[in-house]
Order: sequence, then C-alpha cells, then structure tokens
Amino acid sequence: MNLIQQTRQDALALFEKVGLPSKRDEDWKYTDASRLADLLELGEADTSLNIEGLGITDLDAYRMVFINGMLNEPQSNLPADVRMVSLADLQSDVADEDREDLAQLFKISGDEPLFNGLMALNAAVATGGAAVCLADNSVLDKPLYILQVSNQNNVLRHGLMLGVNAQAQVIEHFISTGEAHALSNCVTAVILKAGASLEHTRLQQEGKKQSHVARVEVKQLRDSSYTFHGVELGGILSRTDLVVSLSEQGASCNLNGLFVLDGRQHVDHHTRVDHKAPHCISRENYRTVLDARSHGVFNGKVVVHKGAVKTDSSQSNGNILLSKHAQIDTKPELEIYNDDVKCAHGATVGQLDDKQLFYLRSRGISEAAAQELLTFAFADEVLAAMSNQVVRSYVEKEAFAKLPHGADLDGLLGE
Amino acid sequence: MLVIKDLHVSVDGKEILKGLSLTINAGEVHAIMGPNGAGKSTLSNVIAGRDGYEITSGSVIYKGDDLLVMSPEERAWAGVFLAFQYPVEIPGVNNTYLLKAGVNAKRKHQGLEALDAFDFMRVVKEKAKLVELDPSFLSRSVNEGFSGGEKKRNEIFQMAVLEPDLALLDETDSGLDIDALRIVAGGVNKLRSPDRAIVMITHYQRLLDYIEPDFVHVLANGVILKTGDKSLALKLEEHGYDWVKENL
Repeated sequence: MNLIQQTRQDALALFEKVGLPSKRDEDWKYTDASRLADLLELGEADTSLNIEGLGITDLDAYRMVFINGMLNEPQSNLPADVRMVSLADLQSDVADEDREDLAQLFKISGDEPLFNGLMALNAAVATGGAAVCLADNSVLDKPLYILQVSNQNNVLRHGLMLGVNAQAQVIEHFISTGEAHALSNCVTAVILKAGASLEHTRLQQEGKKQSHVARVEVKQLRDSSYTFHGVELGGILSRTDLVVSLSEQGASCNLNGLFVLDGRQHVDHHTRVDHKAPHCISRENYRTVLDARSHGVFNGKVVVHKGAVKTDSSQSNGNILLSKHAQIDTKPELEIYNDDVKCAHGATVGQLDDKQLFYLRSRGISEAAAQELLTFAFADEVLAAMSNQVVRSYVEKEAFAKLPHGADLDGLLGE
Repeated sequence: MLVIKDLHVSVDGKEILKGLSLTINAGEVHAIMGPNGAGKSTLSNVIAGRDGYEITSGSVIYKGDDLLVMSPEERAWAGVFLAFQYPVEIPGVNNTYLLKAGVNAKRKHQGLEALDAFDFMRVVKEKAKLVELDPSFLSRSVNEGFSGGEKKRNEIFQMAVLEPDLALLDETDSGLDIDALRIVAGGVNKLRSPDRAIVMITHYQRLLDYIEPDFVHVLANGVILKTGDKSLALKLEEHGYDWVKENL
C-alpha cells in the first residue's frame, strides 16, 4: 500500500467514526446534512453523458472534463508544460516525485477548521480529480477550465499546487443533466508557494434536485495571492466551506461570493480565514439575491492569531430579499488575538433603494424592469472582481436569466 | 401643457402645498423662486410622481390627461422630465444603458421602433457635446463618483437625450461654480423650443442671468404669492422674500 492509499484508508476510518454533520453542530445549524444520507453511495459511473454544448463554450482555455467523477480524456486538452496527474495514477505504485506533496492533499486529521465527515469521505472515496502542479515561475498562458458534469452521485478531489511565483486561473464549473437527485462532493486543495498567484472560480449550476457539498482549502505562503469567486446558481442544497490559511508574511486573499436563488434552493457558505503571519490582507465580499422560498446562509469567520501584527481584514455581506418568504442567515465572526490590526465587517439585509428606483422610473424604465436592473447591478458588483470577461459575461447572463423578469432587460446589458 | 389647480399636498400629515395653481404653456420658460421650505421641491416631486406625497385636493392636468393617476414611468413616456436636485448614485447601472432603455421604452410607448445601437450612440455623443460632458462619463455607472457639478451636468445631458416636452429643473444651479453654471445654462438654452416648456426651480437670481425666463413666480407658504416677468427676480434679489409678503 503506498502513501496515498494509506492516507485514504485513514480518511475512511475517520468518516466512519464521525459520520455526517448534525444540526447540533453550530456550523451546520442551518443546513440539514441528514438530507444527504441517502446520497453517499457511489454506483458505477455512467460516463456516456452527452456533454456537447454544455458549459462556457466560447472560453479559450485548457480543459479538463469530468463525467460523473471520471476524467474524460478525449474532451480534455492540457498544456504541455503543466503536469497533471489523475487520481488513478496516484494510486498506482509508479514512483512519483511529488507523491509526498500530493499525499498531503488527502490527509485529514479531524482538527482542521470546519472539519466535517463529508470531507473525510471525500478523501476516502474520490474517483477523480486533477492534480495540477505548476513549476516555479511558470505562468499558465490560458485559464484551466474544469467542467464537471453529472447525473449521479460523484466525488471529486482536486489539488492545485503553484510553485514559487507561478500564476494561474482556474475555473471549476458544475453542471448536472436531467432531473437527477444526486450529490456532488468536491474538494479542492490549494497550495500557493511564495509569490504565487491564483484566481479561482467555482460556478455551481447543477440541476434543481441536485445537492452539492464542497470544501476549498487554501494554504498560502509568503506574498502569495489568492482570489476566489464562488457563484451559486443551481442545486437544491449546496454547502461550501472555504478555508484559507494566510501562513506567511505578506499573503493576501480576496474572497467573493454571489448567490442568486429561487424556489426552495438552500445555499450555505462558511468561510474561515486564519491570519497566522504579519502583514497579511484578507478581503471578503459576499452578496445574495434571494427569491421565493430560498434560503441563504453566510458565515464568515476571521481569526487573527497571536503574532499576526499589521493584519488588514475586511468583510462585507449584502443581501436582497425579493420575497417575504426568502430567508438569509448571516453571521460575520471576528476573533483577534493581538492589538496591531485593522479589521472591519458588516452585513446588510434589505430591499431595493427607493430613491434609485424612482430615479430609474423617472427616466422611463418600468417599475419591474427598474427593480430587476437594480437587483442585477447589486449582484454584478461582485462579478466585477472577475478578471476573465468571458466567464463574467457567461455568469451575468445565467444569473440574469434567474431573475423574475430577466428577459425584458436584455437590452440593458449592453452589446 | 400643464394646468395645476388648487393643489393641496401633505407630507407625513403636514400640509406643504396649500392650494397652488399654475398654468404652463408649450414654449414657455418659467422660474419658480422661493424661500427654503416653501414647497418648491414638493411641487417638482409631485409632478414627477414620487411616492410619499399625499394629494388631498386639486388637480394636475398634463396635455389634457390627469397626471396624478400616472406612474412615474408613464409620465416619462408622456414627456415629463425631472432634473433632480440631488441625483442619486446607482453603482453598477451604466449611464448609457440607462438612457438607451429610457429612450427605447418611450419609443415603444409611442409605437416607434427601438433605436439601434449605432443610431443611439450617435445621438448620445452629439448631446454630450451640448453640455461639454466628457465622453468617459457615458460608460460610467449612473452618477457614481461624479462631483456635484458633474451630476447636474449629467441631468441636463439626460434631458437632452430624452427630449421631454415638460422639463422641471430642480435647483440645477445649486452647487455649480460659475463656469459650470454657464455650460449647464448654455445646454438648457439650446434645448429651448416652441414645443417644450421648461420650469426652473431656484433660490437665486443668478441662474436667470443665463436662462431668461418668460415668467417668474414666487412660491411661499405653499402657494404662488406673486407672478411677474424677469424684473420680479431682480426685485427679490434686492429686497428678499419678505418684501413680497409685505407688498401683497
């Protein structure tokens, strides 16, 4: 048994011990993980799904396509100078110089921030994933687009390791086909070495009955920079734990989130940023637009450890409720263990601004369109942080289509 | 074009307009002056259709129709325009898109085809010159980060693009330095036309040096106390509003 196989067996033992999160657990107070109990078994993966035309088709990118958790090599196109290792390779006994590093990506101790059984299960049973190792000083010339299509339970685990001063843009896009009632369990572990920079988008657009649990775990070394865009449009129950460790001096992270929900969708993001070293910066901006009986949960915790002087942290969370039955639970949390820090946080819950509405109407925009436009503008402010304009316009279009009168406003979005 | 008769309006149970009457015809430029709290902004907001004003009696007839039953957007489609005293910032909504949507909503209402992007941009660029608006403002969010003067200039630019029949300028001169005032006034003058009525609400006579009104009204205590020509504004400047009250 190699190191990785051993690590995975340990993870399975851990899952069997702790099981699914319970509502008694403070971090799972609003999200009922027992709804996932029937969705943990992995059957034989159906890899025959037709994925033609799915995803962001006009994006110029390297692609990895996973169908029900399995890498589809013919649809994938990888850069020559980047090493990508599939999980199957990792489990073989073929020697690999990075095996020890990669084994780290599977190691679960149970003491991690926001630890829960689902992440242990993920490490134990993941059937696929990308292990991307970018060498020191290399810059990925195009984004890496990881398209993950499913109609069955599937478990994926990616590792992104960027060497010293390496740069990359990675987009994970989750889509499901048909009306499957299944669970995607996806973990992405990121390690950014000194000076490395990653822009990482997760676009969850699965089907109406699909559930999704995810964990993004980021370890940042000196002067590295991490930008996250978490976009939640699909699924019935979706939970993401985003855990960032600013481990060395000068590291910075920008965490952006957008939920546009309707029906009975339930989306929960718990974020945790640990400032462990001096002079680190964290920025967080989450916005939600909630219609019908949808439910959003945002919990953002920032911990400033002893010795993390000159920490600069700010967090903001804005929410618009379009229906009186929609619900948001938002909780910023700040724990500070030294004096020399600058920390700010705030959350707002509200309806649209009357003055802005009147202004637009006085210019001839109908009331419904004005509401829509302001709602869209509110959401779009988060997307403005995306550097990739193709991804941004795709998300804008899809988010827009979810608003009640989306179609009427098409002309307002420009060319 | 606009006939206001015995208009009574309350805000939060307090009567602000107390039987105001005013008639405005196409081609005319009116100035409404008056002290703070006289009801000047209430009047412009009621005409534009803002919520929060209780109309207890009286009527406002615009082109023969009851204006008070129309929504703000219906009024805009019918040719009413308000240049706001405090234009609101709308982050994320592009200035040009807003105007395009406004113009095309109005055209749709009039049974006209929507302007295509090319024609629209041609109109917009031409009108931007009218108020010497830097073209970079066109691609910015509505009023976001604009200085006070830029906001006012943007209002007149919007007026130029939307081509209203009845334009209300609510203290468009306040917060403008003398150069900006000259430019904005120049823009308004170019928009004077026999088919259009313009109503300027202002505290100060100096705006009227640049835009010469046909009529000057003094609004105080919720009614029009006195109406005259341009010379009335000069007398007001000299003697103050108390002079009007004393000389009734």
